[in-house]
Amino acid sequence: MPSFSHIALLIHEWLSSHLNSTLTLTIEMVIAGVAVISLFAVLGLVLVIMERKVSAWMQIRLGPNRVGPRGMLQSLADTLKLLVKEGLTPSGADKFLFNLAPFIAMIIAMLLMAPIAFAKDFQLWDLNIGILYVSALSSVTVISILMAGWSSNNKFSLMGAMRSGAQIVSYELSAGLSALTIIVFTGSLQVSDIIRSQANGWWIFKGHIPALIAFITFIIAVTAETNRAPFDLAEAESELTAGFHTEYSGMKFALFFLAEYVNVFIACAIAATLFLGGWMPFHVGTWHAFNHVMDYIPSSIWFFGKTFFLIFIIMWFRWTFPRLRIDQLLNLEWKYLLPITMVNLLLTTAIVILGWHF
Amino acid sequence: MMQGSTIIFYLLAAMSLVFGLLSVTTRQIFRAAIYLLFTLIGIAGLYFWMDYQFIAAVQVVVYVGGIVVLILFSIFLTNQAGEKLPRGKTVRKIFSALAVFCAFALVISQVFEADLTETSGSPAPTVARIGKKMLDTGQGGYALPFEVISILLLAAMVGCIVIALKTKL
Amino acid sequence: MGLIKYIKNVWSALRSLAIGMRRTLYYFTHHKEIITQQYPENRDTLNLPERFKGEVVMPHNEQNEHRCTGCTACELACPNGTIKVITKFDVNPDGKKKKAIDKLVYHLELCTMCNLCIEACPSDAIKMAQTFEHSVYDRSQLTKILNNPGSKIMDGVE
Ligand code: SF4
Ligand code: SF4
Repeated sequence: MPSFSHIALLIHEWLSSHLNSTLTLTIEMVIAGVAVISLFAVLGLVLVIMERKVSAWMQIRLGPNRVGPRGMLQSLADTLKLLVKEGLTPSGADKFLFNLAPFIAMIIAMLLMAPIAFAKDFQLWDLNIGILYVSALSSVTVISILMAGWSSNNKFSLMGAMRSGAQIVSYELSAGLSALTIIVFTGSLQVSDIIRSQANGWWIFKGHIPALIAFITFIIAVTAETNRAPFDLAEAESELTAGFHTEYSGMKFALFFLAEYVNVFIACAIAATLFLGGWMPFHVGTWHAFNHVMDYIPSSIWFFGKTFFLIFIIMWFRWTFPRLRIDQLLNLEWKYLLPITMVNLLLTTAIVILGWHF
Repeated sequence: MMQGSTIIFYLLAAMSLVFGLLSVTTRQIFRAAIYLLFTLIGIAGLYFWMDYQFIAAVQVVVYVGGIVVLILFSIFLTNQAGEKLPRGKTVRKIFSALAVFCAFALVISQVFEADLTETSGSPAPTVARIGKKMLDTGQGGYALPFEVISILLLAAMVGCIVIALKTKL
Repeated sequence: MGLIKYIKNVWSALRSLAIGMRRTLYYFTHHKEIITQQYPENRDTLNLPERFKGEVVMPHNEQNEHRCTGCTACELACPNGTIKVITKFDVNPDGKKKKAIDKLVYHLELCTMCNLCIEACPSDAIKMAQTFEHSVYDRSQLTKILNNPGSKIMDGVE
């Protein structure tokens, strides 16, 4: 059966048989870049329509139902609209930074794609600090928001940027600590190692209660880090009009919007990798026959299935819970999530040292 | 023909230098912070280029995610958007240029004096090795400095909490 | 004990969140009952809620009579100056002069459908209609005169 790694290998062999090594590398980089950009476009389209349909169904509505069969082409129409709209720059704004901010958001989202394993042996860059790399780069996201908020020269934007700064900086901690729980189990930061360690069961099942707690805290923390409701104070339509992207329009707004959705995808992909085994099929310990049957489902389907399941959960949060206040938000992080994740990490370490996990 | 990797090195180095220069010459304080950010990212890029991935990631976490965000926050709280800083005095400019030149000369002289030899065959600095060295109490281990720094950070944290307490002790 | 309270807090928070999520999941999985309406398709069978307010109208009976006495209470009650009552003096059959309305001018483009004028009217002369397809190509068409031309006040309304 042709798999992603198969195709990648074929391309590599064909290129290296025709060209020298530098040129091969360059062309492969270009192909990877184009692939990432097209994945972005597809993700944007799919996630936007998914969000709108999920929200509609949860609110007993139909959702978009005009463009295309059952409204499935709605996000395409939206994209077209955003493309032809004028991208205004307010006259009081710091023009350079104002125009730079959405691209920074986008570039960071792209760089975050690098260590994600989409299928078996199909990964752009399996660097040995995988998870650390992701958490390091995602802390840069806040810079683009601060930049956008400041350079718009608008009090709503500034306020939104401040809130989101406080929020991202604090939730980074518990997201990192929850991820560390799994790192303690696997003993490696490398994405391929983490996935390989789950060949006889996913960590959420193997890791007893600490893994479960870590999973819950991780999901909460990444929801906050990606600025999604109920933690969307940075945008808060009803209070700050739209927070840091109040002044953005047209394609520049679309870039922010896309970056948000891609960040959700990345956060869920990382959660799936850490807790649900990435592309690893559902295996149970030593039931070889069962494991063998599971292996027939292609690994990319496993990966995207898990990721979209988690994305659905995050959307489910968004359409169920009301927005938090800024003080509640900080209370939740510093008084609840952080102590819980710290104690949980200690517990995990104890379990690993005593060798109680499978 | 230049190697691709050499070109990348010069690009990263140029990026750090140019943005470093811009960050001290611009008169908009927010832009200065952003240029500083790019300088630091350039340095992180250099670490990646050398394959010191852990150091690179730490550079990004600490400097970009931490320090620059802190600087940006303090600018947010103290400055008005769009305002320009006053021009520096000429005397001050001359002296700072002199100071920079002296520091540069010092570094360059040290670099030329030390005989740097190319190491080869040293194993890749993986996180596991770094971690083991950090907590190694034997010869060449860093357990003591590591613990000292932990205590320093703990003291700083306790200090912060005491300052932030509403009811004074 | 602080710790027990803390754990109870976390537990009850998780529980109440789970209750909320169960509700939305129920809606998500039972996608039968739709509360919104497919407007242009069901234009003929459109079923508007009872309290929907679309525009202010003045009902007339078959003899082209309305109940407005021209007291201007509605004009005073309106917060945005939507209504302008222009009065005239009618001469009664027995020779007495009586105040009546000439025109009741209503600016639909200013109206916020707040219902204050209806509540202020002492003789129930105006009410809210449920029309809502108000778009026109020229703004002047939104300025309406509520009383029909040649209409009179109903007998017995003071
Ligand atoms: S509904 Fe309100 S706004 Fe409209 S005319 Fe009556 S009082 Fe004025
Ligand atoms: S509509 Fe009612 S309140 Fe307005 S002038 Fe006529 S009687 Fe008075």
